[in-house]
Amino acid sequence: MRGKGRLFVLFAVLLLAAVGAFGAIRWAQAKWLASDGPIVYIPKTIDPGIEFWEVVRQGVDAAAAELGTDVRVFGADWEKDIDSQIRLALQAIELRPKAIVLSAADYERLVPVARKIRSAGIPLILIDSGINGRYAESLVATDNFEAGRKAGDALKEQLPDGGLVGVVSFIRASSPAIEREKGVLASLREDGRYETVPTVYSDGLPDKAYEATRALLREYPGLAGIAALNEPSTVGAARAIEEAGAAGRVKLIGFDSSTDEIDYLEREVLQAIVVQKPFNMGYLAIKTAMRAYRGQKVEPLISTGSAVITKQNMYGRENQKLLFPFLGSSEEGAD
Amino acid sequence: MRGRRPFQFKSIHTSIALAFSLLILGTTMLLSYSSYRQSASFVTNNSIDYTTALIEQVNANIRTYVSNMESISALALSNGDLQKFLSTARKTPENERLAARIEQFFHSIVVSRTDIATLLFAGSNGVVLTDRPDAAVKDYNELIVQDWYKQARASGGRVVLSSSHVEHLYPKEYRWVISLSRELSGDRPSDPSGVLLVDLNYNLINDLCRQIKLGSRGYVFIVDAYGDLIYHPQQQIMFTDLKSEDIPLILRSPDTTLNVKEDGEPKMYTIRSTDLGWKIVGVTYPKELAGDKTRMQLSSALWGGVCLVVALGLSVLLSFTMTRPLKKLDAHMKQVEKGNFDIRVDVTSTNEIGKLARTFNLMISKIKELMEQKLRDEEIKRSSEIKALQAQIQPHFLYNTLDSIIWMAETNKMAEVVDMTTALSRLFRSSIGQGEEEVPLAVELEHIGNYLTIQSMRYRNRFVHRIDVPPELRDCRILRVVLQPLVENAIYHGMKNKAETGTIVVSGRKAGDTLELIVADDGAGMPPERVRTMLSERGDRERGRGGVGVRNVHQRIRLYYGPQYGLEFHSEREEGTTVVLRVPFRRGGEET
Repeated sequence: MRGKGRLFVLFAVLLLAAVGAFGAIRWAQAKWLASDGPIVYIPKTIDPGIEFWEVVRQGVDAAAAELGTDVRVFGADWEKDIDSQIRLALQAIELRPKAIVLSAADYERLVPVARKIRSAGIPLILIDSGINGRYAESLVATDNFEAGRKAGDALKEQLPDGGLVGVVSFIRASSPAIEREKGVLASLREDGRYETVPTVYSDGLPDKAYEATRALLREYPGLAGIAALNEPSTVGAARAIEEAGAAGRVKLIGFDSSTDEIDYLEREVLQAIVVQKPFNMGYLAIKTAMRAYRGQKVEPLISTGSAVITKQNMYGRENQKLLFPFLGSSEEGAD
Repeated sequence: MRGRRPFQFKSIHTSIALAFSLLILGTTMLLSYSSYRQSASFVTNNSIDYTTALIEQVNANIRTYVSNMESISALALSNGDLQKFLSTARKTPENERLAARIEQFFHSIVVSRTDIATLLFAGSNGVVLTDRPDAAVKDYNELIVQDWYKQARASGGRVVLSSSHVEHLYPKEYRWVISLSRELSGDRPSDPSGVLLVDLNYNLINDLCRQIKLGSRGYVFIVDAYGDLIYHPQQQIMFTDLKSEDIPLILRSPDTTLNVKEDGEPKMYTIRSTDLGWKIVGVTYPKELAGDKTRMQLSSALWGGVCLVVALGLSVLLSFTMTRPLKKLDAHMKQVEKGNFDIRVDVTSTNEIGKLARTFNLMISKIKELMEQKLRDEEIKRSSEIKALQAQIQPHFLYNTLDSIIWMAETNKMAEVVDMTTALSRLFRSSIGQGEEEVPLAVELEHIGNYLTIQSMRYRNRFVHRIDVPPELRDCRILRVVLQPLVENAIYHGMKNKAETGTIVVSGRKAGDTLELIVADDGAGMPPERVRTMLSERGDRERGRGGVGVRNVHQRIRLYYGPQYGLEFHSEREEGTTVVLRVPFRRGGEET
């Protein structure tokens, strides 16, 4: 009788052990195999009409797919909605993400948010535009000075005999504008045959660029070349040159790409454009974020490069991808 | 011994438990491992099959698209209008009418189909016909430098399929397409000719490939015969240092599955060629499968662990239940070792151990029986021996006494005959007793008194005797007829050959737990060697009959009371002999 009682106790203990082990398995599976938070990506805007950010997004998605990580996109509807971006970034911290990839809508106002992200122990990767101070693990952006140099070099190639050159910039205090201008001027000043006229500003508006360029053309009839430092500036300058009948005579080097710009390029009003690589930007930002999350060393500054595109090379295999990013027909179907 | 043989354990319990545990451990590990291996290879094969199936599906779809393009192009070319259009002179009403008809035909095809983006004919005469009669197409000279035109011209009538590219036929219209172009030539080389272009919406290919999900990270890409990528999800960064595919390897390999590495991470290409010369490649990451593998590893390890714990518990339990009766048996055997035969092992089981226990019980009872038997036999033997010894004394004495009586009767010493016969009678009465072995000392002393009376009469005036035992010792228990042989010995060896009258004294005293009875004479005494051999068999033979009685007494006492008791001789030539008889001191009524 006693033996049977003991046997029963032993079986009960074994059963308990089995149940316990089963629980342990479930727990271990839940703990070790469940993925943790996503990477949060906060672009300047999620407006699907803005091709640049759409292509960045493609790069983000490509890297996310390759790394097998979840990426959540938080973004304001329009680029200048700084308050919304601050609010979204604060929400993102609450998610305890692996990392935050942010394109700061404002150089100063996102600083407190960046500080908060950092103190929460979340790696911060800045993309395209930086903020004032070293709060991020890395800045993934176009090297604007280098892009400016390329524009300057393209201008020199168009004007082998030297000449008078003007610059149509966009926002006076914007750091990309300053960097690009510095790059253009640095390239031109390497050679004594180029003279520059004072830089004019478009404030990022094509009409203003048009007016400013017309004024430049009137003021300096001997002007041989113009470098326009962003897309609206380029389109405005091209229109002014074409209308002045100076197409081909006044060489124009533009920045970024748009259908209008490509059309001007094909009609040889525009001689070359310097394009950024937004896909690379998104792709590298996510990859860098993942590296930072894994505690690997990341470069504080990652340049995503730029390319000079002319009418001759625009349909080349690589360039057509940059100029005409394939956004697909069913964007709503893509995640 | 134990140190040198690692698999020899102290108990069967441990051995069984260990053997079971090792067996179970081995089996569990083997099973877990093989089930893991099987499911792992199953997962891998499954994934290859799945990837292949998806790629075949992509392949079939692409073939459909391309064959549609081909049939459209064949339809347009075989229609006859294009030939007629080329052969009629330009700007004629006939020519204009044909141009309008062809463009209308193109238009109807394009609007009715979602897969076709553009239909365009560029004639060698500088005429461009499109599916959009109203749209401004690019200048003829710009069109004929484009790849689709040049390549169609170069291939002379064969269908030319381009890679994915941006169509730039209309100003400000840039669509991603795949172009199929084909030259239309006249019968003679001098005849006007042209190139027909059919553009396929790249969307279709893109959507088709994008939908394909190979795990969470895997993807599909398409490469053409020249190594140009038709579709790749990361087309933008291909051929930069950020990302690459091993295109040369893919181009030269047949339809198979290849394992390659990218940034040290293994990936798997599943390659299928299409009849267009394109290759569709499915990329999967074994690591992703390995994610499943890790899951499988973990769960098989954990389940293996659970089984192991349960099995180990069971094995301990089993070995415990198996060896418990053995241990019980062992404990009982220990008891037997200690001399306890009054035990039985309770057995209920009918297995081997049960049988063993039953045999054990049987054996124990048999041993017990045998031992009792032996004790009984010994008892019988002892008493019969004692009886025999007692019996030995009497005939010899009786013979001598009767001899003396005869002699006295012959010499008419009637009074002495009466005395002697009376003493003999008493002697016999006392010696017959009631068959008991022990008697009070008083009885023995009376007996010896009678005996001495008879002997003193026989050996007239040769000796005097005295019995000097304190009265308080007289109820001590003692074996019967032990003193008589000693007195007899004293008479025959001490007194017989002595010239003057000797003295025999029988005395007694208590020395601790021992009763000492002393028979002392002042006779001839014995030589020392005689004293030594007095109690041994050898001495017995030397002396002939003489010492038999003394030795009998010694043996009887030792048999009855134990070896520490018996006789002790002290003798000196011409001084006399003293025999000390030692028996346990026990008063009457005390049982042995």
